[in-house]
Amino acid sequence: MAKVLVLVIEDMPDNAELARKVLTARGYEVILAYDAESGLKTAIEQHPDIILLDLGLPDYDGQTLAGWLRDESSLTNVPIVAVTAWPPETARQMVESYGCNGCISKPIDVAIFADQIAAFLKPSPAS
Amino acid sequence: MSLTPADDSIRLVPASQFTIEQLTALYNKTRVDYMVPMPMNVARLADYIRLYDIDLDHSFVAMQGEEMLGVAMLGVRHQRAWITRLGVVPTTRRHGAGKMLVKSLIDAADSLSSHLIMLEVIKNNAPAHQLFLKLGFRETGELLVLRRPPRTSPPDPMVADAQRLDRTDSLVLVGHDRGMQPWTNQSESLTNAQEVSGIRLTLADGSRGWLVYQRQKFLLTRFAFKTERGDPVTVARALLSHLHSQYPRLDTQIENIQMGDPHLPAFYDMGYMESFRRVEMWRLASDG
Repeated sequence: MAKVLVLVIEDMPDNAELARKVLTARGYEVILAYDAESGLKTAIEQHPDIILLDLGLPDYDGQTLAGWLRDESSLTNVPIVAVTAWPPETARQMVESYGCNGCISKPIDVAIFADQIAAFLKPSPAS
Repeated sequence: MSLTPADDSIRLVPASQFTIEQLTALYNKTRVDYMVPMPMNVARLADYIRLYDIDLDHSFVAMQGEEMLGVAMLGVRHQRAWITRLGVVPTTRRHGAGKMLVKSLIDAADSLSSHLIMLEVIKNNAPAHQLFLKLGFRETGELLVLRRPPRTSPPDPMVADAQRLDRTDSLVLVGHDRGMQPWTNQSESLTNAQEVSGIRLTLADGSRGWLVYQRQKFLLTRFAFKTERGDPVTVARALLSHLHSQYPRLDTQIENIQMGDPHLPAFYDMGYMESFRRVEMWRLASDG
């Protein structure tokens, strides 16, 4: 069975590598993008199973990128999870209105991060 | 690094002596622990410097040895100045670099005969807020950063005699009387921006007004607007309904809208939400 493919869009290399390490250990395949333009391109080309989106990106911010991603017909059903240090209520309101499926607080808690991601993934037909 | 309070080994170097790549990397390092970090890439910082008339000869980097500790930039327009992009790398804070940077910008603004220094600080950034108060800045208002997601149930455009404006006509309307607006929203910011256009409309009851904006690839931003006659909320609602029905797929972000702006209810009616707030602060030359 193909591995679950996770696209992490995060401009801080240390944060991106931490997410990669935790999710790879869980058996996911992880690809990284460091800004909004390359994140959009990678999402369209690689069609991940889930997208983890930092809201502070250096070219366009994460909300704007979420809007583009939701505008791509091929990505309509791909969960987008924002990863942010914003206050929870502000983050919830913002990510819902931009079409994200939820948010995870920064800094991530490595003990539960993979479970948090798994909760956003649809059960596969075989399970 | 070992720094002592008010470390006298810290020195300031004009920002013009660094590459844009160095300044970008430093700026991003100073913001890593911010709730709203607003990182920039090289192109975005270069654009920021151009849009907001940042004078790198009068902007500074705090150094200790060969290590870059912090940065602060000064925008200069006529006899006004603007402090922006102030940040100190988290591990080197509380040793006087931030205060040195701000004081140097105040001195630079004074040397340029600035009557007024403006700045904005993110609300609840208490250390920066306190520093500015100590250095003679006074709170002049609270500013809103607002967003409207794309495809937010686009309103039908309200019936009005509406006219699209090209860049030239838009900039004429914005005019030159916006010097007391927050720096980002002054006429020079729009004059320096690409892809500026506008809408002017008149409603059946004679109310009329205009809205000038910048259209980026995926984003509407940098609004300037005015009600020339009638109720500001009604006029703004009409302007926004025309704008968003014209660009339903574009995200919108506008910053530094004053809390008391009479048009504000129309923004909320049209699906805008508050992203965060800033406190606006001024320092008059006579306060120094």
